[in-house]
Amino acid sequence: MSTYLTQVWAIVWKDLLLEIRSRERIAAMGAFAVLAGVLFNFSIDTTTTRPENVAAGLIWMTLVFGGLLGVGRTFHLEAQDGAFQGVLMSPAPKDAVFLAKTTANFALLYAVSLLVLGVFSLFFGLDLGQNLGWVVFVLGLGSLGFVALGTLFAAVSVGTSMGETLLPVLVFPLLVPMVIYGVGTTTRLIDGRPFNEVEGNVRMLGAFALAALAAGAVLFRFVVED
Amino acid sequence: MTVGMSAAADILGVDGADHLDLDRSGGAVLQARGLCREYGTVIAVDGIDLSMAEGEFLTIFGPNGAGKSTLLGMLAGAMRPTAGSVSVRGQALSSSDTDWRHRIGMLSHKGFLYGRLTVEENLRFYGKLFGLTDLDERIPARLEQVGLTRRIRFEARQLSHGMRQRLSLARALLHDPDVVLLDEPYTGLDPSAASVLRNVLDELKDGRRTVVMVTHNLREGLEMATRVAVQVAGRFAWEGDNTGLGRQDFERHYHDVVEGLP
Repeated sequence: MSTYLTQVWAIVWKDLLLEIRSRERIAAMGAFAVLAGVLFNFSIDTTTTRPENVAAGLIWMTLVFGGLLGVGRTFHLEAQDGAFQGVLMSPAPKDAVFLAKTTANFALLYAVSLLVLGVFSLFFGLDLGQNLGWVVFVLGLGSLGFVALGTLFAAVSVGTSMGETLLPVLVFPLLVPMVIYGVGTTTRLIDGRPFNEVEGNVRMLGAFALAALAAGAVLFRFVVED
Repeated sequence: MTVGMSAAADILGVDGADHLDLDRSGGAVLQARGLCREYGTVIAVDGIDLSMAEGEFLTIFGPNGAGKSTLLGMLAGAMRPTAGSVSVRGQALSSSDTDWRHRIGMLSHKGFLYGRLTVEENLRFYGKLFGLTDLDERIPARLEQVGLTRRIRFEARQLSHGMRQRLSLARALLHDPDVVLLDEPYTGLDPSAASVLRNVLDELKDGRRTVVMVTHNLREGLEMATRVAVQVAGRFAWEGDNTGLGRQDFERHYHDVVEGLP
């Protein structure tokens, strides 16, 4: 394995190991997902509203708000004992650090997004049928774009006096394209429409994720360097 | 040089100068030129020149707020100077090329440790970031050096302050750096832990490492140093070779230097 990949993997491994031991973020995100599913279940009058019509929007909103709980704390464990400064003083390139943090966040958020899908499928009685795989794929693309932006801006916000409260203000406006394409795609897939009908939207989600990753990899250095 | 500083140099019988640039740049391992760092209107480091050869051990004393930690931060490449430059073995500390990071090890106020990782996991993690491939041999050797072999499976948060400090030192030395920067390593250590640390620092004086240590501990600082500097208000107010400086004399004249400046 190249040194670059070794460095990326070392940070991913460390982040996931810390999360497994502390369960700090996954517990918060998971609990939020389940509770949101329960509350939304009671907030919709199914005699007047088809659950399939609103489920996608609620799934994505749960994902965005729940994701912020976890992504916002990306650098808090790092801040203890100045550990992140130790990482920054190592020869690991800053883009490798960014990609590693994003990958670890993605693993957590993707797990939560699958939980969200399960919870909403249960409460809303969704029958995803043959589109289940595509919905899972679309949520993966959305999660990737979200964590790429979230990780970058979590690094920005952690260095400010406002801290985590600044994160939604910075990230939400940039998430608008992802939410539009994500909700549109998921709604149609839940409704049983064929994949080729949403192929363009999926490409846009993929492009958004790639653009967010590329921008984060380039800009992260300027955010974290003194 | 101020009158106070001249007097100190005369009485101590050492070669004092008001900046640390004794024309040793020929074989310089660590070199700084006109190093400045400002925080808004506050000047933390004000035009420091430094040139250190292989095997030299510089101890920097100075009152709180003199800019010592900021200076170390810049020498470590953790902070960008407002003006001036730093190089290690002739290679400028730039952000684009990170080779120089292999040559620097730093022990800071903060340990750079992950509390929920074990002693071994912390070292293994940093070892991989430094691209080290012989960690199975290197980690036990470093832990033995700092006396933590029996704690290898302990999480860092379970260690006492002294043990964490030793683990931080093992982390800083893991990649066998040419330049070792130590920021108040004795802070908060009991005599026993200080003794262990002193032994490890003694081993650093192997003639091939360049060490810069910031400390308030006059006894430890003088014992280790081949060169001594006093930093006040962002500048080296006094410096000299350590040719048997007595602690009491130095302490008296340290106060002369510090109080003699505006």
